[in-house]
Amino acid sequence: MKASLGGVRPWVLQRATALLALAFLLYFLLHLAIAPPDSHAEWRAWILSPLMRPALVLFVGAVALHAWVGTRDVILDYIKPLGLRLAALCLLALWLGATVAGAISALNTSS
Amino acid sequence: METGPASAMPERRTLKDPGGARPVFLNPLKVHLPVTATVSLAHRISGLILVLALPFLVLALAASLDAEAGGGGWLPLLKSIGGRICLLVFVWSLAHHTAAGVRHLLFDAGIGTSYPRARSSAWTVHAAAAIAVLAAAAALAFGARA
Amino acid sequence: MKISIYRYRPEEDDKPRMQHYDVALGDERMLLDVLERLKAQDPTISYRRSCREGVCGSDAMNINGRNGLACLTNIRTLKEPVVLRPLPGFPIIRDLVVDMTRFYAHYHAIRPFVLPGGPPPEKERLQSPEERDALNGLYECILCACCSSSCPSYWWNPERFLGPAALLQAARFIADSRDADTDRRVDELNDVYKLYRCRVIMNCADVCPKGLNPAAAIEGVRAAVLRRSF
Repeated sequence: MKASLGGVRPWVLQRATALLALAFLLYFLLHLAIAPPDSHAEWRAWILSPLMRPALVLFVGAVALHAWVGTRDVILDYIKPLGLRLAALCLLALWLGATVAGAISALNTSS
Repeated sequence: METGPASAMPERRTLKDPGGARPVFLNPLKVHLPVTATVSLAHRISGLILVLALPFLVLALAASLDAEAGGGGWLPLLKSIGGRICLLVFVWSLAHHTAAGVRHLLFDAGIGTSYPRARSSAWTVHAAAAIAVLAAAAALAFGARA
Repeated sequence: MKISIYRYRPEEDDKPRMQHYDVALGDERMLLDVLERLKAQDPTISYRRSCREGVCGSDAMNINGRNGLACLTNIRTLKEPVVLRPLPGFPIIRDLVVDMTRFYAHYHAIRPFVLPGGPPPEKERLQSPEERDALNGLYECILCACCSSSCPSYWWNPERFLGPAALLQAARFIADSRDADTDRRVDELNDVYKLYRCRVIMNCADVCPKGLNPAAAIEGVRAAVLRRSF
């Protein structure tokens, strides 16, 4: 018998980040539908505004954590050999880490 | 080999291949998959597509915030046939994954877990995703003319 | 009636194959009756059966792609040729007979008995009607394995995922008011493989011949784990 990995924490994390991401997504899509930015300048002003910038960072962070739990589930389902499994998880961590770093960088350098 | 209590296999005699493992029938294509199963499978596939798309979305965000042109080399890429297909696949993935996710959250709250209701909510998820893709395709088609 | 049956005889066959039959029907109504007639024609076909009324769970098999009990399947609902295969994912002993060892091991692992604790009462351990009703939809399981053998999560991880049948029984004992070991039961299930492989695919509810819904019961177990953890 293998040692057990607690299941409820990743599950709760997945649900919590889902709710956060959903909330932001709804706001984002509604805003685009009701009051879409007319010009490039308006788009930049909206995204880089003092409320949107941190909200976007939180959103990307939530999505990254959510994607981590979900993709880890897929890896745990299908990839059994330990070496391959660890490699896949490392790759996933890099992929998501790069995403979050890229988003923070994009939101910080343009101003 | 198996571990745990299930590994106590009874002794087999007069086998054609005594050392061989027992065969298993496992062909998912030959097993009936109800709509709840197809929604779950699509939820997984759409999730994987979204994960693969994440860095590209961040790159697109960065390009869109570019102080000068804004968009840059992205727009012609998106307008190509390949770009449009990618966009539609992305829209389907986002719509399906979100709708199926909401269905999951409702299940967690104990809502709609009876099998008939689970079936109808599954059809709703498929329909919502299909509508989103059609709407996006229409927007692309009309937007191209604008 | 045209039937194709999955055949595997370990002393003769290198690998399984499908064998086709044409059975002249009398007044058979259920698929099991047809199989019994077929067995008179070809005695080498092997399958399990016992009660012939849907309470023992012995004759579970994959019928035209969907798991079910042969004794409860009316032949008028079946498209021909009727294709019979063993339960998916389970090691095959012979023809339609599968090895249920691992399935039973998962069942035993969840401790399927009431652990009341404390001194025995003078007469019975009492339950109110409401407390008894909490077992409805859980106690009726006949352990036929139609559900677990239709669950993709169980296909990919049959050793570590407990499967819908065992988890339904776990829910049954968590829900039993006479059982005092709830905390330990719930703690043991808090595992990324044992419980959390369930994706609510609901193939289990689709095929259960008793109309049970293991996926809904598993949601209840997840809620119990959540309450215990936070």
